[in-house]
Amino acid sequence: MFQTGVSVSPVILAVNNLCKRYGELVAVDRVSFSVHRQEIFGILGPNGAGKTSTLEMIETLRPIDAGTVILDGLDVSSHPRQVQQRIGVQLQSASFFEKLNLKELLLLLGELYGRVVDPMELLSEVDLQDRAKAQVEQLSGGQQQRFSIAASLVNDPLLVFLDEPTTGLDPQARRHLWGVIRRIRSEGKTVVLTTHYMEEAEELCDRVAIMDRGRIVADAPPRTLIGDLLASGFKKERVERLANLEDVFLHLTGHALQED
Amino acid sequence: MRLQWKLTVASLKMFTRQKEAIVWTMLLPLFMVFLFGFVSFEGMEKIQFGVSGAENEPAARLVGRLGEVRTVQVNRGAESAELEQLEAGKRHLVLVLPQGFDPAGKQELRVLVNDGTPEETQMGLLILRKVLDDATFGVQSAPDRIPMAIQSVASRRSSYIDFLLPGVLSLAIMQSGIFGVAFGFVSLRKRGVLRRLSVTPMKPQDFIAAQVAMRLIVLLAQIVVLVGVGILFFDLQFMGRLLDLFAMGLLGGAVFLAIGFFLAGIARTEDQVVPLANVVSLPMMLLSGVFFSRANLPEPVRVVTEFFPLTYLADGMRSIVLEGSTLPALWLQLVGLGLWSILSVWAAVRVFRWE
Repeated sequence: MFQTGVSVSPVILAVNNLCKRYGELVAVDRVSFSVHRQEIFGILGPNGAGKTSTLEMIETLRPIDAGTVILDGLDVSSHPRQVQQRIGVQLQSASFFEKLNLKELLLLLGELYGRVVDPMELLSEVDLQDRAKAQVEQLSGGQQQRFSIAASLVNDPLLVFLDEPTTGLDPQARRHLWGVIRRIRSEGKTVVLTTHYMEEAEELCDRVAIMDRGRIVADAPPRTLIGDLLASGFKKERVERLANLEDVFLHLTGHALQED
Repeated sequence: MRLQWKLTVASLKMFTRQKEAIVWTMLLPLFMVFLFGFVSFEGMEKIQFGVSGAENEPAARLVGRLGEVRTVQVNRGAESAELEQLEAGKRHLVLVLPQGFDPAGKQELRVLVNDGTPEETQMGLLILRKVLDDATFGVQSAPDRIPMAIQSVASRRSSYIDFLLPGVLSLAIMQSGIFGVAFGFVSLRKRGVLRRLSVTPMKPQDFIAAQVAMRLIVLLAQIVVLVGVGILFFDLQFMGRLLDLFAMGLLGGAVFLAIGFFLAGIARTEDQVVPLANVVSLPMMLLSGVFFSRANLPEPVRVVTEFFPLTYLADGMRSIVLEGSTLPALWLQLVGLGLWSILSVWAAVRVFRWE
């Protein structure tokens, strides 16, 4: 396991006092954080906390109202094209062209970056090599999310942004996706993801920023956050069972990746 | 260029794998041609008389009587002009009255008849004989029939299908431009595909260029298929050049694609696109002379429809198919479509939005 945490690896993404307003609503309120190379960084928070807005400003999808985002040394608002070459993006509820199969879609997406990609290699990266001729609509939910990740890798990005990649997936599909995300990181990429699943953040992320009502309220490795909480004298009213229902489910249906 | 090419090829793949798209762009126009082509409307057509020569009082009276016959339409003109019309298939008979025409004078009348329309010609001769006999009865007690010298003239047979096919072709170009683009684009936007594309370094104009290129390729295919089917199955008399048809079609296509992008700009959902597109296209479909000649429209309506883009396109396409016109002769249609394309591209650019 790769423990970066508060590590020595260089900062690849620096967000400083980022703001976004929609009329009266302040969706993102002076958000600052840094992500280090090869980290899996999670932005955790309830719906409407401003996670997606934050991500979309970093991804060049939304104009930045105030603050700066420096990605691989480039200012996002003044160099959007260079930033787009360096990042891979998976969007919530975005879809792909109909009537093209997975292989054709990856080839076409590669062309948009001026690259000739090897679609089979990308598909095997996310365990979809058998579905190369299928169309996106024919895939299961977990497969669609994995394809979406493969699509975000066509430009061999330094940084991959995944917006709620496991929302709506069953536990096995979720675990499968975690495996894929770890594999991507082990190849030297940095991953920034949003989630509202606590166990996902704890299990997968080297570091998490907890967002609430547009602000970051904590930013540390999950174990540090839990340790700090316990050190402050916190006690759960009911002691956690040693296993939960999800463990039972996974135990009965098999830990192996049986999604397909 | 490589990107545009790849995008165009991918768009063509998506298009041709979509069954509905093929139905709308190819099968529906063909169906219309088959339907209207087999249900002949020729019986409803009037017998077209051309009359030239003497313009004295008895001649005027004769022409007046001829014109009173319900199924006859009289057109007066110089002999050479009327002969030309006959050869072009626009007259069934041309009556040449001798100078100083007198129903009692037994001067020979020359009648030039269209050999391509035997039924109308035969009917026209019977009507003419009757009208002439009535005229001589009026002035002679024991009438001698006015002799007629009938001369057959080879003409281009012009059937309803020759009229219909260029019209339906123009209609198909309009429909796939307006509906294809407007509906397709709003759907891409709503499904988040455009949003996904906007995180890539691709410029929106590259994508739009590829969409336009794909639609224009489909348009050329529509022309080839419809004209081909017309020639093979309906004995279409194609007088013009395919290249002129392509050029006219591409200019018309540009207008309707821009209208499609305009509608995609103002519509938010797929549900809004269809009524909007219908509001624009239905009046043109019915009033631009696609199925029936605009000559029968009430005058004020006819004048307005003169300026519809589909009217320019259908008139231009028809003139190329029926009369073999070349582009310089169609300057009016070209200018009309040119102005429309400027207007619609300007409007589309103003309201267009990617997201």
